[in-house]
Amino acid sequence: MRERDRREVIRDEPLMHAPIRRELAGGPLTVPELAARLGRPPEEVLLWVMGMRRYRQVVEVPDSDDEGYFRYELVASDEEVLA
Amino acid sequence: MKFDALVVGGGIAGMESSLKLADMGYSVALVERQASVGGRMILLSKVFPTLDCASCISGPKMSSTVNHPNITTFTTSEVEGIRRQPDGTFAASVRQRAKYVDWSACTGCQDCEVACTVAVPDQFNYDLAARRAAYIAFPQAVPKKAVLERAGTSPCTDACPAGIKAHGYVALIRDGRYEEAFQLILEATPLVATLGRACYAPCEESCTRGDLEGTLPIRRLKRFVADWHYATHDGPGVEPAAPTGQRVAIVGSGPAGLTAAWQLARRGHGVTIFEAAPEPGGFLRYALPEYRLPRAAVDQDIANVTALGVEIVVDHPVDDVVGLRDAGYDAVVVATGTPLAQSLHVPGEEHTGVTSGLAFLGAVRQGESRDLSGRTVVVVGGGNVAMDAARTARRLGAAVTVVYRRSRGEMPANHVEAEDAEQEGVTLAFLLAPAEVVADAAGHVRALRCQEMRLGPPDASGRRRPEPVAGAERVVACDLVISAIGLRPDANAFATLSHDGSGALVADPTTLATALPGVFVAGDAVTGPSDITRAVGQGRRAAHMADRWLRGEPLDGFHALDDRLAVVDHAAVLARQRTHARRDPAVSGIDFSMTPHDFAELEPALTEAEALAGVSRCLDCGVCSECGACSRVCPADAIHLEQHDEMLDLEVDTVVVATGYELFDAYQKPEYGYGTFPNVITATEMDRLLAPTRPFNTVLRPSDGKVPDRVAYVSCVGSRDRTVDNPLCSKICCMYSIKQHQLIMGALPLADVTTHYMDMRAAGKRYEEFFSQGKDMGATYIKGRVAKIEEKDNGDLRVFYEDIENGGRVVAAEYDLVVLSVGVRPNPDALRLFDEEDLAATEFRFVAEPAGDHSPGATSIPGVYVAGASSGAKDIVDSIMHAGAAVAQAAATLEVAHPRRRVPLEVR
Repeated sequence: MRERDRREVIRDEPLMHAPIRRELAGGPLTVPELAARLGRPPEEVLLWVMGMRRYRQVVEVPDSDDEGYFRYELVASDEEVLA
Repeated sequence: MKFDALVVGGGIAGMESSLKLADMGYSVALVERQASVGGRMILLSKVFPTLDCASCISGPKMSSTVNHPNITTFTTSEVEGIRRQPDGTFAASVRQRAKYVDWSACTGCQDCEVACTVAVPDQFNYDLAARRAAYIAFPQAVPKKAVLERAGTSPCTDACPAGIKAHGYVALIRDGRYEEAFQLILEATPLVATLGRACYAPCEESCTRGDLEGTLPIRRLKRFVADWHYATHDGPGVEPAAPTGQRVAIVGSGPAGLTAAWQLARRGHGVTIFEAAPEPGGFLRYALPEYRLPRAAVDQDIANVTALGVEIVVDHPVDDVVGLRDAGYDAVVVATGTPLAQSLHVPGEEHTGVTSGLAFLGAVRQGESRDLSGRTVVVVGGGNVAMDAARTARRLGAAVTVVYRRSRGEMPANHVEAEDAEQEGVTLAFLLAPAEVVADAAGHVRALRCQEMRLGPPDASGRRRPEPVAGAERVVACDLVISAIGLRPDANAFATLSHDGSGALVADPTTLATALPGVFVAGDAVTGPSDITRAVGQGRRAAHMADRWLRGEPLDGFHALDDRLAVVDHAAVLARQRTHARRDPAVSGIDFSMTPHDFAELEPALTEAEALAGVSRCLDCGVCSECGACSRVCPADAIHLEQHDEMLDLEVDTVVVATGYELFDAYQKPEYGYGTFPNVITATEMDRLLAPTRPFNTVLRPSDGKVPDRVAYVSCVGSRDRTVDNPLCSKICCMYSIKQHQLIMGALPLADVTTHYMDMRAAGKRYEEFFSQGKDMGATYIKGRVAKIEEKDNGDLRVFYEDIENGGRVVAAEYDLVVLSVGVRPNPDALRLFDEEDLAATEFRFVAEPAGDHSPGATSIPGVYVAGASSGAKDIVDSIMHAGAAVAQAAATLEVAHPRRRVPLEVR
């Protein structure tokens, strides 16, 4: 059951960048894993992760797991690559 | 502008119409609402029955259209009205909406998108994912240029008299960019810490969230970034422009003077502030109590100004602006405020124990220790100075009564100030006017005799006028009377400048220029008593104009306050969402005491968590927040927020209506759970998930990102359905569903695809073979209408249907994802195009073709033709053929009207 209007969830995406980056700093996670750590609904986390993916902040690890979930990992920024 | 033809709509039918007419040599104006041509087709994955890539087909057509020498494409534009002229030609009004990006400079690099702080649903992905307020429509957009989505000025920003972009800094904080938020405020004023504490926050009064559970703490968010900056940085972090060699004198160091100095110093001018008092800051330092505005905060803000090289000369009153000019200053800004208190004009005012609010507050601010324990103080007045004086007297131990000649509703003080005063034990006595200060034989105040008043009709200020109640008086015993009935400018200062009857300096209200060349005035000295933000706005304006004057430029162009978009309506903002989740407003955190005893800052700072919770409540009213992040990163300097919509008048000989169709709103079938169950999506959304430019990395179900194993389709959703007033077959749903079945089985080889259908309509070239191909690949087709869908706890869906081919029993099947094959509806915009005559419609509100049997594409209006799905559901092939029929007739019309007007085609 959808809990919040999708526009409202999407509006939160910038606010969630930092918490998501913190969680992914430890390694790739699936959407349900990330949702459990953030304490937020997986549907909302998917929207935020896909927003970050669109702007090249995260990327999927090739191949989904046995349950059909992809894991997502952080993309190093240009500055991080250069460092 | 004259063209042979106007084509309305840049989808496949509109592009085809434009290209054919242009290839015949006619000049075409193509008007498209979006920032790119391409319509719905470019958003598709593949086309049926060939499974050719939709982008590969429409991409070249889009490019040919936009680059054709005979086609002028107006993107982000809408036809507001078309009128048929007496000679049979047409006059069209077209609104070209501002893009806020200079497309001649934009390279489509997307840096603005990446930097943008506002996330909104991406309409080109049917809201499945986010885009930014700064965006390029989609990866294959033609032209591939960025636009900014702006609905108007956000109410918070619009309300700020200082022109501070409140929405902008809220959005930057939300994105964790605290320093950029601080810098955005610095663009307006150096007084970030000051306004974060002492502003009356008209932004919050205007906040749309106030219509829900309460406003954002916008002022305290400003304080949050100020505190953060000052704790982590030395200096403002602003580099002034190269020195201009010109010198500006500022008279007065209050909020207007400091802001003017800051702005002029940033522009490279040498600035000196002359301040009459021993320390700079004006009322900020000498009138506002420490508990509201700590001296340290004022000092932090003033340090921003001096960091740019501004010299502040204190204990230096100035009364002669001409002398400043003679001393070598190229321009002067006078911002001396309202230093004088209004007199009570009652007998006994000269007694010991009568003082003005300004003098009282100034003395306390300067450290004059006064113990009023056991004393009784009467403050006369209902403004903010009266409230400050009353609360200050309470802190010194006095019992305090405020007497005001009107009632609470007419008090000029901010209502928060009055409420806070009461929470600190101040008594407010209304409808009392001072009549006499009563003193003892030694001349010490003993009481204030007051006349009781009542409210009469409104006066010039709009407030009800107080009138004496005959014979009704009250005597209020007291030891000290503080008069705080108003402030005024010094009418005797600056003899070479003009004053009005109130003593205020006279200047042009827009330019703030006086009659003396190069002399500008700002702040309360011009406006009379106002507040800090208004003074800041005045200081900004005077600095802008003085800078223009120094550069020899016209005194205009003050975009910060004079050129804002219209404010966004609260109701329109709230209507963007179907629901609004409650989010608790920030609590004030002030611990009031009925016996306050010190001057420690009263309001606690927001913690970072509180600040982030606060900004999370922003509704992004204007969509674009005006945070300026895009401007700062754009390598082509292409962002131009000052752009405005333009109205274009087109004269054409023929019109082709190609406005396309709308999709059925699946919310109208609540039994299917669209919008409620995340894993119920529409087939157009599935097409996006299957497209090369899809919003996810593959087909994922929206509830949790799982790759679906069991996908169901429900046919005829919103078509062939009288319950939603649409008995028509939408014609394309069967085939696009079959297309998607095959694509899903290609993308997800392990997935099972099942379609619940009424009957399969495959009337078209190779369509039946295409259906068979789907079945051969393994798709399952079950005949029977779906009755309802339920959601399980894990997000899976139970689909209840009537199994017609197995006895008609009701069966429930479980799926990971359900796709609704939604039908086609008419686009009502087509019927609103014409101003003075109706474009005839069918009974189902598509554009009618009255002679459709022998003249397809001709409408009820001579010279107007319809192409594609505007006249009824059509697949892509039929739309293209229909466009051909329409433009053939349009060309015939043009040939009859102007046989030799065709434009030679130079480039093919």
